[in-house]
Amino acid sequence: MTQVTPAMATPPDPAMADAATADATPEPADAATAEAVIMVRGLGKRYPTGSRLSRGGDGVRALEALDLDVHQGEIFGFLGPNGAGKSTTIRILLGFLHPTSGTARILGRDVATEGLAIRARVGYLPGGIALYDSMTGSSLLEYLARLYDRPPVLRAELIERLELSVADLRRPVRDYSRGMRQKIGIIQAFQHDPELAILDEPTEGLDPLMQRAFLTLLEERRRAGRTIFFSSHLLSEVEEVCDRVAIIRSGRLVALSGIEALVARRRRHVEVRADGALPDLASVPGITDVRVRDGVLRCELEGDVAPFLAALQGCRVRDLTIEPARLEEVFLEYYGRDMEPAR
Amino acid sequence: MIGALFRQAFRSNRVRIIACVLVLLLWGAVLPLIYASFGKTIGSFIRGSNNPLLEQFASFGGGDLFSLAGVIALGFIHPIAIAVLGVIVVGLPIMSIVGERQRGTLEVVLARPISRHALFSVLFLVGALILALLVAVQLAASVVSASLTGVLGELDVARVPIVWAMGLLLALAFMAIGFAASVSFDRVMPALGLTLVIVLVSYLLEVIGSIWPDAAWISDFSLFHYVRTKELLAGSVRWTDVGLLAGVLVLALGYSWVVFPRRDIAAPS
Repeated sequence: MTQVTPAMATPPDPAMADAATADATPEPADAATAEAVIMVRGLGKRYPTGSRLSRGGDGVRALEALDLDVHQGEIFGFLGPNGAGKSTTIRILLGFLHPTSGTARILGRDVATEGLAIRARVGYLPGGIALYDSMTGSSLLEYLARLYDRPPVLRAELIERLELSVADLRRPVRDYSRGMRQKIGIIQAFQHDPELAILDEPTEGLDPLMQRAFLTLLEERRRAGRTIFFSSHLLSEVEEVCDRVAIIRSGRLVALSGIEALVARRRRHVEVRADGALPDLASVPGITDVRVRDGVLRCELEGDVAPFLAALQGCRVRDLTIEPARLEEVFLEYYGRDMEPAR
Repeated sequence: MIGALFRQAFRSNRVRIIACVLVLLLWGAVLPLIYASFGKTIGSFIRGSNNPLLEQFASFGGGDLFSLAGVIALGFIHPIAIAVLGVIVVGLPIMSIVGERQRGTLEVVLARPISRHALFSVLFLVGALILALLVAVQLAASVVSASLTGVLGELDVARVPIVWAMGLLLALAFMAIGFAASVSFDRVMPALGLTLVIVLVSYLLEVIGSIWPDAAWISDFSLFHYVRTKELLAGSVRWTDVGLLAGVLVLALGYSWVVFPRRDIAAPS
């Protein structure tokens, strides 16, 4: 997954713009012809503002002209800071909110008119899930499973994987810690083996071991051909498991790309220590911001690393550090600049 | 699916149901007992006092302590009965929709293949069944108590189901108003406040109109006024009363039916 879809935003700098243009190839034929599991076109949502007098205006824009495709068997990360429109998008997909413009289809069905048929095939984990406190864990899972036609085929396995004991499940939910509530939330979302799981901040409250178990679970679901759409602000987990990621800001999509493509376009921090003269890297493609101080060369590297390594030939390199690009940096790049999203 | 929803709606209200049944059993039994023990004495005293004000006050809300029909009517309009029925009439619609929305559990249920119409229908049906039970419990307790105290002969028991039906219709109308408020707000307090104001204002209008002859006309604006228990027990059914209560019920239900699916369910707060 290295291509960037045509819906992606203009990257934050000219170099990235070039890369994006080059990458802005259409979807592969098979993906383009098969309808996406989630297909969003021009989706918009405006909330009325508080006072009656101001309701005559346009209201508060929560989402604007969002285009998005999520394909079968894909883990799709949906990134953005608080208030960016992630939860609004998810709530529209599930039929909790009505869009003010655009359309959304899930599994080939319109979310506005075929919500029941969609939700029969979808699992949902709300952010900061609320549960019925007076019920025990097991009775809650049983109750929520009975609201589907599909049997809870994965429940036992999930309970074991997330290390919930029989004793835990017999306790009322009100006695659960935040992490245990989140485990129950994950189980109720996956127990009927949904074709699509929509997860809002799924690892919130989980300890690192359980986060690991959860990410492994996602990968297994993907291998089973299931599709996962999840929002997060934990970029490390998105980077680890997602095939593609969308970044949303102020209700607008600012990037939609494969993780690798997104990270590959990001500048890497390079540090070279050499005995003797340092090479002149100013003219090397992809190298910018060259600084030399105390015999140490520092620069930024973007794109293919081969020209940079070629430039180092003949130089007696004592130490070379190329700091791998992290999604956090890409994310910050998109949010750190006053960038207009591409339409 | 609907069965699970139905059972859960009952289960989540079971403590309230048991508590309300116990209180109404007691309350329904006490008034005929008071009537059998002191009713005639109190009646003679008040009538003998030649004090119209005292007599008027003794006919609180269309009920009185001088006849079996009067105490049954008083049992319906008394604040104790109103408060107990209010637990379901107001509490159930408010807590099951806007309360669950505010807590965040509504979206957990609606993320399943359950339409908002189906959820609403189940909740209303559960509320209606509980209210049918509670009104029946109160009346049955009164009938049993009257029988045990030897005054049942003053009552045409065959007319008790009519009182049950009208009492239930009144309770359903108020519950439908509660549902209408519940689907209209994102927070519990405005919905609860609006429903309570409607119930309490209606109640006050009926009480004030019943004890203050010059202001009797204001009780026409109260829904309580249209359950004339004593008249019903005497065999007189006013179909305009039935129509009015049924009209309020249908209007409030229709409003909820239309509005609930169209409203956004905002994120829990």
